Amino acid sequence: MDGHIFIVQTVLNCLVLGGLFFLIAIGLNIIYGISRVINIAHGSLYALGAYFGYTLVATGLNFMFALILAPLMVAIVGIVIERVILLPTRDRPMVYTLILTYGLMVFMDGLLKYIWGDQILFIHPPDFLSESLTIAGVPYPFYRFFILMATVASMASLYMLIEKTKVGIIMRAASTIPEMVYSLGIDMKLVHVGVFAFGCALAGLGGIIAGPLFTVYPMMGGEMLISCFVVLVVGGLGSIKGVTLAALLIGTVQTLGFVFITDYAMVIVYVMMALILLFMPKGILGEGKFE
Amino acid sequence: MMSSISMDNSRLMPRAKLYKYIAWLLMFLVLILLPYFITNPFYQRLVTEILIYGLLAMSLDVILGYTGLLSFMHAAYMGIAAYTVGIFVVYVDAQASLWFTFLLGVTVVILIAWPVGWLQVRTGGFAFALLTIAFGMMYYTLVWKSRDITGGDDGLFGITRPTIAIGDWVLGSTSNPVDVYYFTLCVVAICFFLTKRIMQSPFGAVLESIRENEKRAAFIGVNVRRYKLQAWILACALAGVCGVLFTYLKGSVSPTMMDASAGGSVLMMTLLGGLGTLWGSFVGAGLFIFGQDYISTMTEHWMIFMGLAVMLLVIFMPAGAAGLVNRFITKSKD
Repeated sequence: MDGHIFIVQTVLNCLVLGGLFFLIAIGLNIIYGISRVINIAHGSLYALGAYFGYTLVATGLNFMFALILAPLMVAIVGIVIERVILLPTRDRPMVYTLILTYGLMVFMDGLLKYIWGDQILFIHPPDFLSESLTIAGVPYPFYRFFILMATVASMASLYMLIEKTKVGIIMRAASTIPEMVYSLGIDMKLVHVGVFAFGCALAGLGGIIAGPLFTVYPMMGGEMLISCFVVLVVGGLGSIKGVTLAALLIGTVQTLGFVFITDYAMVIVYVMMALILLFMPKGILGEGKFE
Repeated sequence: MMSSISMDNSRLMPRAKLYKYIAWLLMFLVLILLPYFITNPFYQRLVTEILIYGLLAMSLDVILGYTGLLSFMHAAYMGIAAYTVGIFVVYVDAQASLWFTFLLGVTVVILIAWPVGWLQVRTGGFAFALLTIAFGMMYYTLVWKSRDITGGDDGLFGITRPTIAIGDWVLGSTSNPVDVYYFTLCVVAICFFLTKRIMQSPFGAVLESIRENEKRAAFIGVNVRRYKLQAWILACALAGVCGVLFTYLKGSVSPTMMDASAGGSVLMMTLLGGLGTLWGSFVGAGLFIFGQDYISTMTEHWMIFMGLAVMLLVIFMPAGAAGLVNRFITKSKD
């Protein structure tokens, strides 16, 4: 019976971590697909979402409202970043953008420490989320299940947005031939800033969702960023389906790694990434657009 | 874009060339006499540290400025050499000779960098940069978690410092700051001129052609991956030299010298000095280390200023300090 409980809980934990990776990595991926920018500061935006969530909940706001408000605030920060930093340097070689966003990451991490301090903070989810529920005869924390539902919902709405709406058509077209989209009379500057803000909002959402689970601390952004890079490389940069699959895969490997080998779990993840890159250089689905 | 950064020696006028030699001569005189001006051991060690980090930043310049490959975790390879030497001296042979540990440290770095580089050059651009982060974090995690051997986040202490000797001829001890300074200066100068010579050779020209246009380089028959791998191994071996020097300067090794922020610091030094010049990296390292020393005496939140400085630098001064000097030289010849 113990084995049964362990298996069900581990499978659910894998899905939860995978879902979280999906939320953060897909934002990076969409931004790369359209603007050819890898935002190194994406992890810091994820941390910013968690800190905004902490402050909003600490001031007495309902957690559910914070769940909507924090990502919007991160998106506004994203718009400022796009306009002030990325827009003037769009024509530079890719090395410059990478170093620029790296500087942004250092700056933002320093700012987070300055404003909220070094200590670990806790976001308290509402009472009904703190209970546990029974899945397949096994008790499971409701909050983790809630994360799973939230990521599935965002995954589904993202696919609807990209595949079924006009905005999605523009995004898909812009990722293939931006010049053509521009000459058809669509404001590419607006597309760039919109996509960047959207990616930031997803990172912020991931941050506030992860807050109650992993606690909030200054280094959380860096850790998430590195996991997401692994997801992007495994899934193939620019491929949405590949990244979705890779997020679940890496989430699974990392969860199992922490269960069975604890200390060196991350080493296994990196070795796996190296092997996948060696045999499938364009990601697991072969759809990657590396430059 | 990148080609305007690198210095074109052939276009300098004879007089400018003369000035250049005088500048070199003066700089060497200053470097040799420096311990007589700076008598405080703390600052003597700081200057030695600048020389070591300058060499590290220069080795990053070989792959970033010349070949166009971005490594975020170059300091990790310095850390590997430092830990190799530290572990060997602490656990195996406390009386190991300086030259043997030098050879050991650099060899281990090359043995690790070779397969990793072989894998990394199969990708390019973004993926290459992402992979350097993944591998760098892997080394860091391994060192950090292997508490029994490396001392974890406390670092590795009690590294016996050997004497600097050629055969039976004893030149000094690595525990004396002045001796370490001169020893570091010699090693760094040899590495610098060797690298400069390599970069001026046809090999260096091929690397620059890869940076400018990888596809065209491949079309004229250059084996791009092989050259990238060679540049990578050269850079990592130089980083290994830095690691050994650093171990003997400090007498201890700590994992913070190979974490993500250390990798970023090296990147900033290279950038601050200017890409594709080699010597600029030393200026960058000097500005960075003195700057950090100065800012951290005023506020503990130096990260904010550092990040801001990097962003302003990339936006307004992409050619770095060397770019300013080169602009001055080009102006003076008109």
